[in-house]
Amino acid sequence: MREPLGRTVVRGMRTDSLEGRPAEDAVLVERAQHGDTDAYGELVRRYQALATRTAYVITGTSAEAEDAAQDGFTKAYFALDRFRSGAPFRPWLLRIVANEAKNRRKALGRRPTVDLSVAEDRPSGDTALSPEAAALASERRELVLGALRKLREEDRLVIAYRYFLDLSEAEMAEALGVARGTVKSRLSRALVRLREVASGEVTRDG
Amino acid sequence: MGKTLSDRELEQALADIGERLPQATRDLWPAVRERIDRRRARRWWALGVPRGMLAPIAATLAILLVLTLALTPDLVARAAEILGLRGVQIFRVTATPSPMPTTGASVTFTGQRAASVEEASRIAGFPVREPAALGAPDEIYVDAAPVRVTLVYRSRQGLPATALPGISALVVEFRGRLDQAVVGKTAGPEAHLESVPLNGGVATWLSGQPHQFFYFDPNGNFQSETLRLAGNTLLWEEGGVTYRLEAQVTKEEAVRIASTFR
Repeated sequence: MREPLGRTVVRGMRTDSLEGRPAEDAVLVERAQHGDTDAYGELVRRYQALATRTAYVITGTSAEAEDAAQDGFTKAYFALDRFRSGAPFRPWLLRIVANEAKNRRKALGRRPTVDLSVAEDRPSGDTALSPEAAALASERRELVLGALRKLREEDRLVIAYRYFLDLSEAEMAEALGVARGTVKSRLSRALVRLREVASGEVTRDG
Repeated sequence: MGKTLSDRELEQALADIGERLPQATRDLWPAVRERIDRRRARRWWALGVPRGMLAPIAATLAILLVLTLALTPDLVARAAEILGLRGVQIFRVTATPSPMPTTGASVTFTGQRAASVEEASRIAGFPVREPAALGAPDEIYVDAAPVRVTLVYRSRQGLPATALPGISALVVEFRGRLDQAVVGKTAGPEAHLESVPLNGGVATWLSGQPHQFFYFDPNGNFQSETLRLAGNTLLWEEGGVTYRLEAQVTKEEAVRIASTFR
């Protein structure tokens, strides 16, 4: 039951982390390293949505997520000279932002659960679904969302990187600060726990 | 309770949640920029210098400090103790070089005039070599302390003019050991440094506006050497002798000339 889930997910994972965009990121990073603040502004605009989502998954409120993302971007700017040239910028940034969000939560002394919530009905979506199917999907969403709220930060983050941010396996490893081989097992463990909580087998993060 | 989701349902639910996560409500850049500026202002000592530049600046300051302290040896030892911990190499020098004036009506060379390379070798005490590509030098000078041989090439066809009137190339040879890291740190801020292969070894190509470099003399002392042309320079060491070629030529041309030393 649990095993196939882990395998399915891992098989579907993208592993091409370096194609396309990063080449241009590298140019902007290098310009920023040489004091070009506008180049850094471009990077901020490019990744602010991703950074805010990452922070949101941890903080659970939009206001705090945006604040954490801003601080993350600021810290990353002053850490640019430690950025390994040639490395992908996106996961490096997300790691800093995630740390910022975690520290914020810790400082606020929050309980493990977060007020994670999503827009219930998108204006244009779900048109293909019948009312019954839409209601069922909404119910499942609520169920999974409720389970997500109860998960540990680390588990939520690895699930978010895979499903909400669509990071590749290599990027996830970099963003989580773990070896690439560890990503798969972390993700399947997190999904197992998510499923357990969603199925009511475990009611609290344990 | 006990409601079980299939793999597909779980993944679908997660994808749905991902799509519905709150969107960013505003552009973060103006606020980030403000935070960056504020934090920079607090670090007044950085003077807006990118952090990547701080290490070279610190190294330069350390070298300048040591040059200043060179007259008070007991302080040098302390500086070495303090700075050495931070990974900065410390060298004692006998004097600070000042850049040579590179323009002027007449060019003078110091030292004893030698009639030939053979004579220069005899006076200098080491075999003096010359680049076949440039033909015979027009003048040869041998300085005594420290021993240094200068081959002067006045106008040569195919060689552009240099900052010294009537001179198209200089070759300077002396006994000494080069340390690329030291050359790099002391070539001056206007200098650009590059390693190039030469005769199975490595030469250093200095372009931009290098003014000086440092080397170790046969006694292991740190010595400074001022470049006459303050232009493109190829530096290399072979058999304990340091050679340098100064001419307004490309790197490739300098390497070609250097490969014809005999």
